[in-house]
Amino acid sequence: MVSPQIEKRIRWSGLLVSSGLAVQVLTMAWSHPLSFMAFLVIGCPLMLAGVVLFLASLVSK
Amino acid sequence: MFSWTTIDLLLAGVAALIAMLVALHADLTRARGGKILAFIALFLLPVIALGAGLSRQMEQSKSTQFCLSCHVMEDYGKSLFVDDKGYIPAAHYQNNRVPREQACYTCHSDYTMYGGVTAKLRGLRHVYIQYLGKIPKPEEIKLYSPFNNRECLHCHNGARSFTEATPHHKTPDLLDKMMSNEKSCMSSKCHDTIHDVDTLADAKIWKAEH
Repeated sequence: MVSPQIEKRIRWSGLLVSSGLAVQVLTMAWSHPLSFMAFLVIGCPLMLAGVVLFLASLVSK
Repeated sequence: MFSWTTIDLLLAGVAALIAMLVALHADLTRARGGKILAFIALFLLPVIALGAGLSRQMEQSKSTQFCLSCHVMEDYGKSLFVDDKGYIPAAHYQNNRVPREQACYTCHSDYTMYGGVTAKLRGLRHVYIQYLGKIPKPEEIKLYSPFNNRECLHCHNGARSFTEATPHHKTPDLLDKMMSNEKSCMSSKCHDTIHDVDTLADAKIWKAEH
């Protein structure tokens, strides 16, 4: 049985990961230092936060 | 058929859609299949897409277009089109001695174990200065350290045109001195016309056909 708390975390994780990936898609279409920085500073942290939150939801009670 | 950029874009796009699906229907994870989908959407695909994205961004950051995006570098870009073979970057660029799409990176990255990493770190510093620091005038831009012959020799070493060139045998030990960086190719009054952006106003510019 999946608890509502875990589902909440998975929902947040999905939102973070999809936002990070959306940033990645946008930045890959534009070859510019600003897009490189946006990918590094916004896209990567969002995606990593989502993945970490998902992994945390797997091991949480 | 498809370029790597297209494949990376498709991968990231599909991964984003699946992650959004899981976010909107988190109740799917109650079933075994949903758990597997969540693992793929929220771990496997993002990690693969992130790796592919990083690799793509690194590749894009090597492009000449990327380096010349900053206004202060415009003159350096223009110096690649000077119609004078005495200008070393122009001669290299126009004669395809360096790949045109990665002209800056080819000469301005150290050919050492961590040369690429150092170049990227310097690039980050340049971005910081461009947007948050004091931007120097084009003619005030200097190299971090004197240009090492190693970067020239990465391509020229062993080439007949280099080893048999008469000026390179002016003295018996000249080649050895160049190999050991004791005698600089650029600052020994031999190949000393580099970007010279302060002389561009009077320079004749080559108009490429393509």
